[in-house]
Amino acid sequence: MTHNCQDAQGQLYQYIDSELDETTASRIRGHLDDCSGCMDSFEFERRLKVVIRRCLTEDMPESLEAKVKELIRHETL
Amino acid sequence: MADQANFERDALQYSRQLYSAAMRMARNPADAEDLVQETFLKAYRAYDTFQEGTNLKAWLYRILTNTFINKYRKDSRRPSEVDLGDVEDLYLYRRLGSEDTADASRTTEDRVLDRLVESDIKAAVEELPENFRMPVLLADLEGFSYKEIAEILDIPIGTVMSRLHRGRKAMQKRLWEFASQRGLVPEDAERP
Repeated sequence: MTHNCQDAQGQLYQYIDSELDETTASRIRGHLDDCSGCMDSFEFERRLKVVIRRCLTEDMPESLEAKVKELIRHETL
Repeated sequence: MADQANFERDALQYSRQLYSAAMRMARNPADAEDLVQETFLKAYRAYDTFQEGTNLKAWLYRILTNTFINKYRKDSRRPSEVDLGDVEDLYLYRRLGSEDTADASRTTEDRVLDRLVESDIKAAVEELPENFRMPVLLADLEGFSYKEIAEILDIPIGTVMSRLHRGRKAMQKRLWEFASQRGLVPEDAERP
């Protein structure tokens, strides 16, 4: 692992969470283009985040929104 | 200041998202529904204090998390630290993601998905202590920025980052354990 790899890995989550300033993000992007090892691991974490998000998304019971509206209208009376 | 008359139109569009987060907080549908209803009722009552043009979604999540913490937290003795032991960065990747596969057309996501089960992912999040679960939910489920999470949870941004990092690591460790228990990982991958 090179110094550039360590630099990139240290900011992996900030990178996939889009929290880096453009200069830092483009430096890391440049490294990923050159380093398939880092690219692979970044891609894994990015995909994992997508999978987690999809698995955590629930179907809301249809009745719930009506219940909320009812509560609010009752409150307005 | 926001007008209560616009509350339904402006706020209710977030109900599905709030419900997903509420499910992982309360851990069951009945409490999640109560949590969402109470959140909207409180938000409605306080809507005239909401500054129009600011972040309504974040404001609603702040009410949701505070409502959960005040009302539904049943056992304050639950551990508030995650035991990471020797969990290194890229814990799952080192065990799953870098495998060579016979079929090169298979994407990384396929390889991940093959070994992760939806109910295990939900369980891994629910098992996280609250102070780690909240940042993970807000970032991974809702896509809030670190700054927004800091405001919603009323903690410094550095704390958001460290809890998010540790929470994600703890989840990866758990996901690996689940996958191993289900026999979804090749035996030679179990001792990296």
